[in-house]
Amino acid sequence: MQMKTRSSLVFLFFTLVPGLFAQQLTLNQILDSYYKAGNFDKLQKVNSIIMTGNIVQQDLMPVKIVRVRPDKYMMQFDVADLTAYQVYDGQTAWMTTPWTGKAAPQVMPPERATDMKNRADIDGILFNWKEKGHSLELAGKDTVDGRIAYKIKVIRKDGGIEYNIIDTATFMLQKRISFRKAGGKEVTIENFYRDYRKVDGIPFAFIVETNNAGRINEIQLETVELNRTVDLKSFTMPEKK
Amino acid sequence: MQTKIFFVATLFILLSSRIFSQEILQWRGTERTGIYHETNLLKSWPEAGPALIWECDSIGNGYGSPIITASTIYVNGEIDTISYLYALTRSGKFLWKAPIGKEWTLNYPGTRNTPTCVNDMIYVTAGLGTVACLDAKSGKKVWSVDMATDFHAPMTRFGFSESLVINGDDVYCCPGGADTNIVALDRFTGKIRWICKGLGQMTSYCSPALIRLAERDILVTFTKSAMLGIDTRDGSLLWSHTQDSEGDVHINTPLYENGFIYYITGDGNGSVKLKLSADGREITEVWRNGACDNTMGGFIKLNDYIFTASYGRRYWYTLDANTAQIVDSAKFDKGVTIYADSMLYCYNEKGQLGLFKPTGPKMVPAGSFKVTRGTKAHYAHPVICQGVMYVRHGQSLMAYDVKRR
Repeated sequence: MQMKTRSSLVFLFFTLVPGLFAQQLTLNQILDSYYKAGNFDKLQKVNSIIMTGNIVQQDLMPVKIVRVRPDKYMMQFDVADLTAYQVYDGQTAWMTTPWTGKAAPQVMPPERATDMKNRADIDGILFNWKEKGHSLELAGKDTVDGRIAYKIKVIRKDGGIEYNIIDTATFMLQKRISFRKAGGKEVTIENFYRDYRKVDGIPFAFIVETNNAGRINEIQLETVELNRTVDLKSFTMPEKK
Repeated sequence: MQTKIFFVATLFILLSSRIFSQEILQWRGTERTGIYHETNLLKSWPEAGPALIWECDSIGNGYGSPIITASTIYVNGEIDTISYLYALTRSGKFLWKAPIGKEWTLNYPGTRNTPTCVNDMIYVTAGLGTVACLDAKSGKKVWSVDMATDFHAPMTRFGFSESLVINGDDVYCCPGGADTNIVALDRFTGKIRWICKGLGQMTSYCSPALIRLAERDILVTFTKSAMLGIDTRDGSLLWSHTQDSEGDVHINTPLYENGFIYYITGDGNGSVKLKLSADGREITEVWRNGACDNTMGGFIKLNDYIFTASYGRRYWYTLDANTAQIVDSAKFDKGVTIYADSMLYCYNEKGQLGLFKPTGPKMVPAGSFKVTRGTKAHYAHPVICQGVMYVRHGQSLMAYDVKRR
């Protein structure tokens, strides 16, 4: 019994103590540690990232995500075994929805285009945030999966608000909370970042769980490749036939 | 001398019955149970998996499995909305392809069914409703019917997917029409032998089972919200078993064993055991477990245990066939289960093929590898024949050497 109590205390000490010290750090100190943990020095030298894996819901949907500096993004995924695309070419965000019977690509509405532009940012919203026109403030602490974390409020250049939540011990991004209008209502989207693994010394979350107003899916990555040559023409929206 | 004549005569009778026996090559093995009667197969796999013998990467889109005869492999594939029957040599070389009909392309585009082969005739379906008989040597069409136009079949959500059952001179298909629900055709001419109105519900993608009793043979299949038992002599509906949910996808072939019928759906009652009366006229529910589901990966029953993968949760589980309780599970995503030479072969939706030794209720891992070739979803059921494991992944058919040396 005594042994069990002692173990519990040791566990609590190591769990909570980083959180106690966390209060003493400023926003800039937290961000500096976040950049260091994420090996952002090396990330700056990465021009392209290609990720492959699966979106796991009831069905399994193979997915490939391609990012190329400075602002290109493509997600290719299968729904009902029909391949669909969501793409940002640096100016235009477009998508295909073959499961609706429409083969032709469509331009995304402005709100989704903003999201696509943010997804294209290899470094993420917290890096060079001033230059990108965002505002940041430390919004206290939160817990993610039972661990204490810093909560950073981001007021994006487009006026949207989101929260990025960073682990107090590892300084890795653990959770993102964002908001989107759907059907005239604002819905909350939570992303959880798990299973960090290093690729060429840079950590990537190999599992990203998304809770979109109660609908949960998980992206499970299998491969992450850096600095592969990517044909930039593939980001251009095809002309309607 | 007399002994010698007796021996030769006996040998002749034995060999003749073997040679001329009407072996039906079909979906999930000769008995449609997922069990392949193979011997001398590998009991563990090396880290990279068994050796790939060959790959044929141009069999069209689809999810159906191949069947393997002494000289030829048959498999269906879709190209440009047309369903074809492909014939390959046993070494994977293209022989010919024959058009069957229009294929389903609205979702999960590609062929769904596995051909059925009896002697020199092959029976196939296409996603928009063609049922056809082809000559196995040439691929020439012997006859065909269109379930949509000939039997007023309502269009489905996922295309016609049935792997056809042959019984004597009959071939059965399930158009799901209000008055033409299940139809028996003369397998040599395509002429109607009987029509069963069933419950008038649309088809539910099931590849049926055939139960042979002393008194009658029973075709067991599903339509939208019920499992049906049909007397194959005249097409009369013997009984039905209602599904509690609104779902219409009941793909898995039911299993009959020692007086009991087992079925597992992902869109209905879950796992169910029924007692079938000796004359086949009545069923009585023994148990059901709504939490134990599987949509299209099939299941394997070995003695007291049923092995299958969950649909709602991503794991394999073992169901006690006597108590309906889950008694063990294995984390291997979800997918298809077949069995050969005392081993389970599990092919999951992530493309991993796992070999497991069933030990009581437990699935003991014995190796796995990832199928990296091919296209689209990993749904096709593997097939094992003469020490070779055939795996279809979209446009590719791969042959792996699983023989123990």
